Amino acid sequence: PVPAEAGRAPGPPDGGWGWVVVFGAFLSIGFAYAFPKGLAIFFKEIQDFFGTSYSEIAWVSSIMLATTYGAGPISSILVNRYGSRPVVMFGGLLCGVGMISAAFCTSILQLYICVGFITGFGLALNLQPSVIIIGKYFLKRRPIANGLAMAGSPVMLCTLAPLNQFLFDNFGWRGSFLILGAILLNCCVAGALFRPIGASTAQAKTQVTEEVKDALKGKITEDGPMENKTEEEGGNDCFEKVNQYLDLSLFKHRGFLIYLIGNVLMFLGFFAPIIFLAPYAKHTGIDEYSAAFLLSILAIVDMVARPATGIIANSRWVRPRIQYFFSFAIAFNGACHLLCPLASSYTGLIVYSSFFGLAFGMVCAMLFETLMDLVGAARFTSAVGLVTIAECCTILMGPPIGGILIDTFGDYKYMFIKCGAVMVLAGTFLFIMNYYNYRMLAKEEKERKKKEEDPKSVRTEKEGKKNWNKDSTQHGPELEPLREKGEGVKKEMNGT
Amino acid sequence: SEEKNISLASPTKVELRCKLDENSNLKNPQVTWKRGSETISHTSKTKNSWAIQLTISDRSQLGSYTCILKGEKEISATFNLQVPNIEGREKPIITYEGDTAVMVCKTEHDPKAWTWYMTNGTEKVPITKILHADKFQIKRQSANVNRLEIFKLTKGDSGVYWCEAAFDLESSKSRFELKVLSIAAPFKPFIAIVAEVAILVTTIVLYEVCSKRKGKGGGKEFDQIEQL
Repeated sequence: PVPAEAGRAPGPPDGGWGWVVVFGAFLSIGFAYAFPKGLAIFFKEIQDFFGTSYSEIAWVSSIMLATTYGAGPISSILVNRYGSRPVVMFGGLLCGVGMISAAFCTSILQLYICVGFITGFGLALNLQPSVIIIGKYFLKRRPIANGLAMAGSPVMLCTLAPLNQFLFDNFGWRGSFLILGAILLNCCVAGALFRPIGASTAQAKTQVTEEVKDALKGKITEDGPMENKTEEEGGNDCFEKVNQYLDLSLFKHRGFLIYLIGNVLMFLGFFAPIIFLAPYAKHTGIDEYSAAFLLSILAIVDMVARPATGIIANSRWVRPRIQYFFSFAIAFNGACHLLCPLASSYTGLIVYSSFFGLAFGMVCAMLFETLMDLVGAARFTSAVGLVTIAECCTILMGPPIGGILIDTFGDYKYMFIKCGAVMVLAGTFLFIMNYYNYRMLAKEEKERKKKEEDPKSVRTEKEGKKNWNKDSTQHGPELEPLREKGEGVKKEMNGT
Repeated sequence: SEEKNISLASPTKVELRCKLDENSNLKNPQVTWKRGSETISHTSKTKNSWAIQLTISDRSQLGSYTCILKGEKEISATFNLQVPNIEGREKPIITYEGDTAVMVCKTEHDPKAWTWYMTNGTEKVPITKILHADKFQIKRQSANVNRLEIFKLTKGDSGVYWCEAAFDLESSKSRFELKVLSIAAPFKPFIAIVAEVAILVTTIVLYEVCSKRKGKGGGKEFDQIEQL
């Protein structure tokens, strides 16, 4: 948990328009995660049409995934600069344009660009801002909001899969891409719902004025020249400029580093089992439809697990120790994979799919919540961008490594063992490191409280507030209501 | 009862063997091999298996061969000797005017020759390279994969096409259905969805502008005073 902000400030709305924003995020996140998976239906036809091999077609998916995760920092910078709403709307537009132009492609290379890069980049501009804006609208009910929004992924997948099949049967791949382009424009609708808000940072600042009025007077006038100063410096030093929009100091943040290492490790084994579940089922002699049904079970359990996990994570017993819950979910996921080779019958695989769906949903629901919990809503914007680009590499490596294991040994069980082992390791690592982190945070909190009682602390507090200001200057237009409030306060103060 | 499909491309000798599981309850069954109503005598016998040897040299010898084991109960297994199957497309292929259509035929064994047919009414007309050079193109992707490409599609190109793979024993066919749609077809749902997006976005923005105007009257300054 982050000190300072959560403790003192009244907090973001935690409701009202926030639930509409959750719905928008539900749509946006759903498209970002489910769309690349849903495209697989078209691949056989496109492969025949262009006369390419399967791996050349698979590159379309890989490029799309890589761009969605790799463009994370760019997304973060844009959100820091312009706020979530314009970025998501532009992202939706880009996705639409990408797929519409893909409908007219005449070579596989053009498909790589239109579907892979352009649409992938558009989805990246959808994913990050949606997650970020939840952190701005919620604090007390944030785990629930996150759980609900992340549920968009399985719901969208269950909707897109039959829809894509229907479109393909009636319009062929070109017509389908055209219509999918229009459907992706709905991300703009989701974006329109993301009303800008500066609630959390605004509250923090008003609290500041309450406590130390003298210091504040000097402070507000300091604000002006200080802002100009940072802009000047930004112009001169490139690193400073980047740091203004993308908080690179996060790499010194203990919690962030723990999260980064744990997650990068986890993603090595996260997606491969889903990709290989159906082929594994067919390998054990199960027919195609029953194998597809396993994935449906997974998606349905996932759909329910995410909001449920959000509710559990929000409860007063789990929330303060949410990092442990997250580590447990990852280790549980790993344990499922390790036990999978023991399931040889169809019933066994159904049981595995259900538990896998549950574990997968639990991890996904808390994926961004735990990061927000560690770094705080203000720095989350930059944190999520940096995390996704690091995860990008392992996400892309995971399935091919699994594939190599399967091809070398001719048996799927080694792939499951590898994924299970990696995830159990990641879960254990996160558990131990977060225990250490909680202890250190408790220690720091104690020291901070001691210093506050000390009158000498005014100077250090001023420095502390300087840092808060730095955070708030990174939030562009969301600062608008903030500035208004600040001026309103000044008026009142001068009045008294 | 069990069933197994065996693809034969050229004349060959096959041995079909029925093996009884050791754990089976059936002891010392009476075994007969049949093809239809005709009985065939088995050529080899071991403790738990019975086999027949066949020389398949003609297409008339293809078909289903069954071994029947009679004891307290009767169990049987069938072998279907057939020409190699061609992998085609059961569902219609949707294409658009002016676009190119591609049909791919794939088999397990290498055929002697590939022939493509288009249907004119009920007649099957072979597609020859000389006759339809700029419209059709037949490409040999590999020995067992063959492609038909049709360029500059028009509505008249819609219909049924056949791909035939000739093997020594018999030929195997696969059916393709081609549908050529006009470009306007997907545009109707496309425009509908774009319109829906535009309407929703406009509604949301208008709602926000209206509620901001209502709120500006009393709300904000009041909140700030309350804070202090």
